This record gives sequence, C-alpha cells and structure tokens, in this order.
Amino acid sequence: MTPVAGSASTIVKPESDTEVDVRPDNPWVVLVWNDPINLMSYVTYVLQKLFGYSLEKATELMLDVHHKGRAVVSAGSREKAEMDVFRLHEHGLWATMQKDGSDGGDS
Amino acid sequence: MIRRPRQPIQRTRNGFVLQLDADERHLLRRLLGEIRDLVTTAPVGDAKMQRLFPPAYTDDAEGEADYQRLMREELVASRLSSIEIVDTILQDDESRTLSGIEVDAFAQNLNAVRLILGTLLNVGEDDDDAESPEMALYQFLSWLVDCAITALMRA
Repeated sequence: MTPVAGSASTIVKPESDTEVDVRPDNPWVVLVWNDPINLMSYVTYVLQKLFGYSLEKATELMLDVHHKGRAVVSAGSREKAEMDVFRLHEHGLWATMQKDGSDGGDS
Repeated sequence: MIRRPRQPIQRTRNGFVLQLDADERHLLRRLLGEIRDLVTTAPVGDAKMQRLFPPAYTDDAEGEADYQRLMREELVASRLSSIEIVDTILQDDESRTLSGIEVDAFAQNLNAVRLILGTLLNVGEDDDDAESPEMALYQFLSWLVDCAITALMRA
C-alpha cells in the first residue's frame, strides 16, 4: 500500500488484539492482500466502513496487510464470507476467501 | 495539473463541498466515462481489469466459477450506479453540499481509476515518484482520494 505525502491521517498505536474470531461455526475466513496501489488511508477507511471496526482496529489490520502481506479481516459462514469479499471487491480491495486452516491462512 | 496547497474536499457544517475547477471536473468525468465503457465491454479475464474483478477463491475453481457467475454482474451494476453518482456531482454547482455517501462514491470510483491506471503503469510500492504525464495523473488521483478519505474520517 502507498502512503500519501502530507496525509493528515495519524496512526494511533493500537492496543487491541488483531485476532478475528475464528470458531468452528465460522469456518470461512476473508483475507485482504497487500497491493501497491490502494492507499493506506483508503484501506483503513474501507475496513472501518464495511466492518464497523474502530480506527485503531482498522489501522492495525491495514498495517498487518502492509507489513505481513495479508490479514484476516472477517470470518463466518460461506455466505457471509462471500458477501464480505463482494463488498471488498466493490471497494477495490484485493480480497479472497478460504476455509480456515487451508493453505495461506495463517491467522 | 499543478498540485496546490489546498483542500479540494472540505467538511462543512452540513456535509462536504468539492472545490475542483472546470478542467479538473472535465478530466475526472472523462476518466469515469472510460471506466464505465471498460466495465461493460472489457472481456472477462482482461488483465487491466483484474483489480476491479479479482478472484474470490484462489484454491477452489468451482467456487470461483460460481462467484464470477453470480457476482460479476452485481459488481458491474454497483460500479455503474456509483459512477453515476460521481458524474452528477462533477456536473453540479461547486457550492452544492455533498453527503457522505456522495464523497464515499467519489473516493471509491477515483480509486477504481487508480486501480486500472496503476495496473497499466505497473506501479510498485516505491516507484510512484517517476516523472511522466501518466504518473502525474495517477498521483493527482491519489491525492484526491486521500483528501476525500481525510474529510470523511473527520466527519
């Protein structure tokens, strides 16, 4: 992701845990992948808007995407995951879904 | 396009105002028109459109085929309707107060232009300071998206 010079957004040091609740009844996870085009501020905003995360939580997830290459942003049934992926795609984020524990999902 | 020290999207008491000159509005409307044409005419699998229609399933071909069958038309319809919102904003009087939903659509669709332009330019994490007219346009759009997000997050 790309920071914008002169951006007024400040990054608050997060204290909350980034783990998304992944239980047996939430077998699907939604991942957002790092990309060089989406702005860090935009990604944070979209995560707040779509999932109702606090600024701190959304910033933490965005930084995970930026530094680790991906982050689990939501979990749930297949239908919920598909809808979340769709909404992320509407907003131009690079999102995929997979069964929790399958290759690539390390959260 | 000279980058001036200004704030093109300002938060007001009742909403937001968009301060762009006629040339900038014309440019953005033209770019959105190109996206509108591309999302309706580009063949499935067109590389420059991959960021607007990314895969949902990377390890499940059947799931992916279902997703594309069920959701691609929805993505196109959603894109076209939100482009309409932005196109209307850009034709309106500069003094009109915009809602958060309108500014959100503005950010979302200028970002969609960036996704296509950035893909065509093969933008990387650190090479966005190269000098070319296309890169200047890309940076102008980045600046506008960031200004819109800053205004929205201040709301």
